[in-house]
This record gives sequence, C-alpha cells and structure tokens, in this order.
Amino acid sequence: MLDLQVLTQAVGDLDEKAILTMINDFVATNPSGEDAQKIVFACQQGMAIVGELFEKNEYYVGDLIFAGELLSKTIELLKPVLTGVASQKVGSIVIGTVEGDLHDIGKNIFGSMAEAAGFEVYDLGIDVSPNAFVEKVKEVKPQIIGMSGVLTLAIDSMKKIVNALNEAGLRDSVKIIIGGNPVNEDACKQIGADAFTTNAAEGLKTCQGWVK
Amino acid sequence: MDSKYYETWEEYLAEHPELEGKPAHAIAPKIEKYEDAMFVFIMDLLL
Amino acid sequence: MTDAAVMTNERNQIFRDLFSGKTPKRVPISNPATQDFAIQYAGLDLAECQWDLTKLEPVYDKFCQDFYTDTYPGGSIRIPSHYQILGSTPIVMSSSGFMQHPEVVGLLAEEYDQFIASPYDCIVETVLPRLYTGFNGEPGKVAMTLAKAMRAQSDDLAYLGSIRAKLNAKYGYATMIGALTEAPFDFMADFLRSFKGISGDVRRYPDKIVAACEAVLPLMIKKGTLPNPSMLGYTFIPLHMAPYLRDKDFATLYWPTFKKLVETLAGMGQNVQLFVEHDWMRYLDYLYELPENTIMRFEYGDAKLVKEKLGKKHIISGFYPVTMLQTGTKEQCVDKAKELLDILAPGGRYWWQADKSIIHLEANGPVVENLRAVLEYVHENGTY
Repeated sequence: MLDLQVLTQAVGDLDEKAILTMINDFVATNPSGEDAQKIVFACQQGMAIVGELFEKNEYYVGDLIFAGELLSKTIELLKPVLTGVASQKVGSIVIGTVEGDLHDIGKNIFGSMAEAAGFEVYDLGIDVSPNAFVEKVKEVKPQIIGMSGVLTLAIDSMKKIVNALNEAGLRDSVKIIIGGNPVNEDACKQIGADAFTTNAAEGLKTCQGWVK
Repeated sequence: MDSKYYETWEEYLAEHPELEGKPAHAIAPKIEKYEDAMFVFIMDLLL
Repeated sequence: MTDAAVMTNERNQIFRDLFSGKTPKRVPISNPATQDFAIQYAGLDLAECQWDLTKLEPVYDKFCQDFYTDTYPGGSIRIPSHYQILGSTPIVMSSSGFMQHPEVVGLLAEEYDQFIASPYDCIVETVLPRLYTGFNGEPGKVAMTLAKAMRAQSDDLAYLGSIRAKLNAKYGYATMIGALTEAPFDFMADFLRSFKGISGDVRRYPDKIVAACEAVLPLMIKKGTLPNPSMLGYTFIPLHMAPYLRDKDFATLYWPTFKKLVETLAGMGQNVQLFVEHDWMRYLDYLYELPENTIMRFEYGDAKLVKEKLGKKHIISGFYPVTMLQTGTKEQCVDKAKELLDILAPGGRYWWQADKSIIHLEANGPVVENLRAVLEYVHENGTY
C-alpha cells in the first residue's frame, strides 16, 4: 500500500508525474475497493491543500484548473478498482451557468473542487433555462443549487430561476449559492439566494457548512 | 512572416513574371492590401 | 466650420495632448455602454439588429443624443453574419442575443511543434478548420464559404463605418482609429489552447509556451500595427491570463513577449491602450516598465496606489464600477465619479472610462439615469 501522506502531498504539490506513477503502480497491485477508497480520500486531502494554497495566494486559478484535471485523471484511473464500494457522498449539488451566459470556467473549477470534496455534482452546462434547473431539482433532489454567470445579465437570469423554483414549490428544499464576477451582497439579496461567492474555494466551504 | 499563406510583393512578383514592365506602383499596393486584409480577417477570427 | 467640426478638432487635440503626456484642457470621457446596450435602449431586438444593420443608424443617433461622450460610442467586432457563414464555434450568439466566447480548443498540446514551426500555416491548416466548420470539406465549398464570409464582414464593417462617419460629423466626436491585438500568451490561451488547456501547459510544457509565444509575436505585432502610426488612435490590447498565473509563471511565460509587443508598437510611434482586466495589483512594477504614456484602463484595483505608482509615467483610465450604476442611487454614482476624479485627475494623464463595458440593459432599472448623470457630471467637472 502506497504512502498516503506522500500521495496527499503530491496532490497538494500538483506533481503530475509523481501522482500518476503512484496511482498506476497502486492499480497494478489489484487492490481492494476499500484500499482504493483510502486513496481517493488521500487525494481529497491533497485537494484541500490546494484550496488552502489558493486562499494564501500561492496558487492561482490556473492551478485550480490544473488540479481539477489531475483529480479527474486520477479518479478515471481508479475507477476499475473502485467498483463494489458505495462511495459516500456528503451531499449533492446541481450547478449551471445561467440562461444567456456561455461562460463556464469558474463553474467548472467549483464543480471539480466540489466533486473532490465528496459532493455528487450534476452539471447542467451553459445557457441553462429556469425550466431546466427546476426539472433537474425535481429529478435529483439536491441539497444545493449553484448558479454561475460572468455577464451582469446573469443576475436577471438568476432571479428568474429562483422565482421558478418558488413557483414549483422547491425553493425551501434547497440552499442556493451564486457565483461569478457580477455577484455581490446586493445581487444576492435581489436574487433571493442564500450565499454568494467570487471564489471557488470559499464557495465550497459554504456548501460544506450547509451539509454538515 | 514565413508562411505558405502570406506573400510579400517581392515574393509575389517573383512568381508572376507577366507583371514585369507593368506599373508596379499601382499594382503592388493593391496586391499587398488584399494579402494584409486576409491576414487581419484570419487573425480576427482568433481574437 | 460647423460647430461639430470645431468640437472634433477640440476633442482630437484633447486626446493628442493626453496621449503625448501633456495635460489636456479637461478630462476626456468615453461612454462605456456598447452597441448591444444601444439596441436595447432603443427598445429593439438584439439579434435582429445585429443582422439587419440598417436598423442601427437611428439606434446610434438616439444613443449619441442621450449620453454624453467624447468618443464614438458602441461599435462591435462581433457582427454575427460572417461567424454564421463560417460555422463558428468559438464565437456564438447566446439565447439572449449576445455574441460570446465559450471555451474552445483550437490547438492540441501535441500540435505545439507544428505551431512553433510556422504559426500562420498552422492557423490556416489546423486551428481554423477545427474551430470553424466552414473551413472543412470540398475545396470549392471552402473557397466559397471564405469568400462569402469575407464579403459579409467587409460589407458589415463598411456599413457600420458609414454610420460612424455620419455621427462623428453630426456630434463632433474625436476621430480615432484603432487596431486590435493580444499578448502572445493570451493569444495562445484564448482560442488556441483554451483556459483549461494552457493551465495544464504551464505545468507540463512551459518551454513550448515560451517558444510558441516567441513564434507568434511577429504576427501579434503585425496585427496591432495601425495603417499610419501618425494618425490619432491606438492599438487596443485586452489582457486576460496574467491574474490566473503564479508570479513566477507570469515572469517567464507571459511578461517577456508581452513587453516586447508593447515596446515594438510604441517604438513605431503608436499609442497602446491596455485593458487591464481582473486583478493586476501584484504586477504594478512590471506595468511601470512599459514605454512612457502607455494607456492603462483598469478593471480592478486600488486607484490611489495605481495613480501613485504609475500615474506620472502612464495614462490611467478605468476603475469606475459599472455595477454601481445598476445597484446605486444617482447620488452614490455621482459621488463615486467624484471620488475617482479626485484621485486620478490631479497631475494629468487621466481618461474617464468605466471599469468595463456595459452590454446589458435592465429595462426597469436605474442604469440609464445613473449613467447619464455620471457622464454629465464628469463632463462638467472633469478638470485636472
């Protein structure tokens, strides 16, 4: 069994070569699903280090994106040995870039960090209508909805989505967090969301607080 | 700029000997203009 | 001479003074709202007016009448017709009618060497066919698609240019020409490698990034070259990726070719306007190094610190938060304008522009009134 602390640190260091070598070697030993879960957990801890370094301004958004990519790669490699283990999710989140807006970098960073932290993430993509949000919420009954947008018109769209959730009687069953350049406290109040963030790591902390 | 898809006037003239003796002062600016117009068009598709 | 012609001469002189580091007789102002905003302001359909440009003259006329500005407002390089003809994937119209740039990948990591060997060849042969469906297929068809697209864009730009000339003459705006280019690193990121792609390249192939930036630098210089450097105008360079990089990656991968680009353009006698997007506060010392009188429009940051560190050498602009126009009272908006004037105008080298462009108009919101009030205030009180 590989040294979990070394793996966690390698993830924190975003050392792709070291991570992939360790993971590939590990998978080649035909490990148990339980051991594979421990690896996943070690990687998640490494992602927490990444988040901390981002808060300290040692890592920047480009590093978060790379981290998300590394984690996806790692999970892909581990998939064959993760079967038969019920992965415990801490909660589920429906995310999407709202109607009229095609930007998704921030949403994608948040999505991969949330996945890394153990959330089940349902990503609706870009230019997502209120109806699409409502239907997904009905289908998967998430704890949290995350709405993203870069253009100021996103604020209007976010309002419409919250209204649609209200009309469908779903608003009280979810927490809503909004993210993106134009969001601030005023916007949050206007929209009727529960929280706002312009920082994926901060947003993730908020969501973790909601599902405790 | 070294490219198959961009020619200076001199390069163009070298390939078109039929233009020898024709009024280069009138022809060159026009040939160059459309070469550069295409360059701007192409690059603007990536900006 | 007509009144408008007199105003044009006055405004041109203000900008000539500003760009050469002299203090103009007042602070020049540019309306931050765009063609998209103007169309909505006129109560017309956004998609329709970007296709049928004949609808735009009255749109622009009303826009010019109702909002004070020293430079021609609006303008757009993202006119849909040629994008549609080419089968564009990197620039598309959203459901809301706004032309936007979703994340695309034009150049794969394994194609770096091909690009470095000849960027323009690679662009024509590999990148454009990947991003624009119209560049693929039977040669005859591709040739026709390209011809149609070029003609469409040329006609569109000429038509918009004719509206501009008319309204410049009617309202006496400053008559400036512009060119658009990017820092080599941003060019590699935006449509070629993508945000996600280049973030990985920074870690995996930094040497390829350096080589690619060097290889494409001559193209970015050529793209940014004005037809005649002595004409009043500037090369516009929007800055994208730097705030997302660590300091050391910025220093080795972004800065060197960006600096060379600005120095070369300035060396040709051109003015350069940087749109300093997002947060460049940790890079102020770098910005200081750029050639004197580089115009720097800031989206974000500490106006006082910027004025202090850069304001004696460079021309400062931006900072005014357009979101305040959306959420603030008229008084708050005007107070903010006054606050920034007090910080940025003294000593000269200041051009009033907002922190970003306004593209969206909320029909029942306060933006129109607030924007008008702010533009009027700065016009009447904008002294150095």
